[in-house]
Amino acid sequence: MDNRIAEFRKEIKMTQQQLADKVNVTRQTIISLEFGRYNPSLNLAHSITKALKKRHIEQVFNLR
Amino acid sequence: MAQKNINKQNAAWKYGFAIIIILAGLVFWRLGIGDRFLGFSSVGTWLVYVGFVMMAVITLQLLSRKKRIVDERMEFVATKAARVTFTAIIIFAFIVMIIDGIKPITLAYSYFMSYLVCGIVLVYFLSYKVLLRFY
Repeated sequence: MDNRIAEFRKEIKMTQQQLADKVNVTRQTIISLEFGRYNPSLNLAHSITKALKKRHIEQVFNLR
Repeated sequence: MAQKNINKQNAAWKYGFAIIIILAGLVFWRLGIGDRFLGFSSVGTWLVYVGFVMMAVITLQLLSRKKRIVDERMEFVATKAARVTFTAIIIFAFIVMIIDGIKPITLAYSYFMSYLVCGIVLVYFLSYKVLLRFY
């Protein structure tokens, strides 16, 4: 699964730690997500979309 | 996704369990049950030792103020590590069966079980740490 977490996170000048704190995960999990090593659950994907101030999950996550 | 911290009620239950183990150890020691326990002088003293170690661990957990985050990625990796450990146990059992067939293993059951438990914990810990780097 592709994602644009890093891009949107930088857009709103948010650090990995800040995003991790917002969605209640560790910074390592955010790193894994940004590198595409780990696919999030629907819950986490939804939380990240909200934290990145986007409306739809499809804006942030895309199937390859 | 959850922030896990040991609370006082949980700690009370754990302390209770540790005290039961210590009391059981004292009873075993007093009645002289399991006097020939390898590695320790008796099963009773071993239980008392385990009880005190448990109490020390619980106290350390209570005193640490650092919030421990357990997120879904960690749970995912933990599940994978459990699967690896399970596979390792099966492979180990086959190896032991073959070795025992070639030359009978003469090892006290208490030693064998303690090695096995330590091995399981070690395999789980190592596989968890290694898998954490891949996910």
